[in-house]
Amino acid sequence: MVERSYKRFSYYLLLLPALVLYLSIILFPIGMSAVLSLTKWKNFQMAGFIGLGNYIKIFADPGFLRALWNNAQIMLISVLGQIPLGVVLAYVLFRKFVRGVKFYEMMIFLPITISSVVVALLWNRIFSPVGVYTYFMKFMTGNPDYILKISENPHFAMVPILFVLLWMHTSLYMVMFLANMQRIPKSSLEAAKLDGAGESVILWNIVLPALSNVIFTSSIFAISGSLKSFDLVFAMTGGGPVDYTNVMSIYLYKHTFTYNNYGYGSAVSLIIVFLSIGLIALGRGLYGRFQKKFD
Amino acid sequence: MMDDNINEIPRGWQIFAQMFLILFTLLTLLPLVWMFYSSFKLQGDIMLHPMSLPKAPTVQNYIQAWKIGHMAQSFINSIVYSGIATSLTVFLAVASSFALTKFGFKSSKIYFSIFTLGLLITVNSVIAPLFFMETRIGLYNTRIGVILPYIAFGLPMAILLACSFIKGIPDSLIEAAIIDGANYLQIFWRIILVLSTPVVATIAILTFLRNWNEFVLVFILTSGEHMRSLPVSINSFAGRLNQDYGMQFAALTIGTLPMILFYIGAHNMIIKGFGEGALKE
Repeated sequence: MVERSYKRFSYYLLLLPALVLYLSIILFPIGMSAVLSLTKWKNFQMAGFIGLGNYIKIFADPGFLRALWNNAQIMLISVLGQIPLGVVLAYVLFRKFVRGVKFYEMMIFLPITISSVVVALLWNRIFSPVGVYTYFMKFMTGNPDYILKISENPHFAMVPILFVLLWMHTSLYMVMFLANMQRIPKSSLEAAKLDGAGESVILWNIVLPALSNVIFTSSIFAISGSLKSFDLVFAMTGGGPVDYTNVMSIYLYKHTFTYNNYGYGSAVSLIIVFLSIGLIALGRGLYGRFQKKFD
Repeated sequence: MMDDNINEIPRGWQIFAQMFLILFTLLTLLPLVWMFYSSFKLQGDIMLHPMSLPKAPTVQNYIQAWKIGHMAQSFINSIVYSGIATSLTVFLAVASSFALTKFGFKSSKIYFSIFTLGLLITVNSVIAPLFFMETRIGLYNTRIGVILPYIAFGLPMAILLACSFIKGIPDSLIEAAIIDGANYLQIFWRIILVLSTPVVATIAILTFLRNWNEFVLVFILTSGEHMRSLPVSINSFAGRLNQDYGMQFAALTIGTLPMILFYIGAHNMIIKGFGEGALKE
């Protein structure tokens, strides 16, 4: 009996420091958000409960809907751009189509070490009137006055940001997929090769099925991650011009820390949390169905 | 060893693959190379000849950026924040993972899923209430007020990795130690922590990279130059100083170079770490 309670004591001694820290810094604030999101703020002060008023205002605000759409664009570039490109890169390296696989892997993965803020400012310079991109385009188009105007276009202002996101994150998927491809038993690949299977058959019939789980999990993380992107967009454009490149987390930041409306900001952060949990649940459900169909 | 045995595939595919990889490599390298040599050019030279190599290389930009951006202080802060937070994250993650995997209590499953829930929550969703909390309990604008959230946000991934590793440590080792009269803390210290070295290295690298490049927490939970980390300091060059490109390039290079050197030294472990991180998700 003594031993049992001693065991339990040790268990909590090892577990509690991490658990308490985690609960008080991550889960407790979310609970607090939920309460704050129902309150109204005026001049840095709470001014009473307004129920779901903040939520209604948020969804009626075209500025928020624009931010939501911009997040959707980031989501699309992650799932339809980074992941497929990551698969292709990983496959080319995995099947050793070229010499120097290790070298390419090392070079392409390099951006992972660079902070988003640095990446943002660097690409702002590249796209600037005295940047590499502008210089290249002047050369290609033969127009000495070329400058990049797309960021002032309300419909396509996100394009440079999407490109930079692709630049930054594709290699992460490459490395994840490559690590998993290397776990595929060599024998099944060799058998297919002996049967005369071409590369496309190996990719479709052996590699992609073996990877489906990882591709699915990374898609989920890409989707939920894309709702939260902040650093890069904030440092690159700050959401501007006007709100053309605004995303939900910058919208949240402005309402909370610029306009000091904690209630409104908390409601936005809760919407982000619920959207991401909802999308993940949806993804899980769809994947479950998809798997049943093919089993 | 196998690296040079290329696959026998049609020539066309080989050329395509080669072009594809070269394109990606150039896309990665050229911006960084351009940033690096431009940092040795003065403003006028950058405006007139944006592509050319520096004609009269100067370190003027570095001197200015270092001073104006309070880079020395930011560097020390970055090391303190990332270093302390990373070591504590690793320690706490291994301790709690030992408890969660080797004690056989029913509650372990619940605690484990509570921790992994944290993978879905990023800094932005709690930053407002966290700021609110820290200003009220006096942690705002303190180093502890930055380090604690760093640890908390590092824990979910760290625990996920540590649990799956520690699960593989044979129970018989622990039972034998108990028979020899060791208590659980001794087992943690002498057996678990020692045997976990490989996963500790992986977690440490992933956590350190994440902390070193973190921006939002320091940006919002601190004010004033003496508390800034490197990314926050560099971000200050985006606003009021954005007219001086040379200085900006110098600041960006200062922010990038240490990590690139670290990457050159440890890229095998870093790539392996991210690969392993993916396997566990």
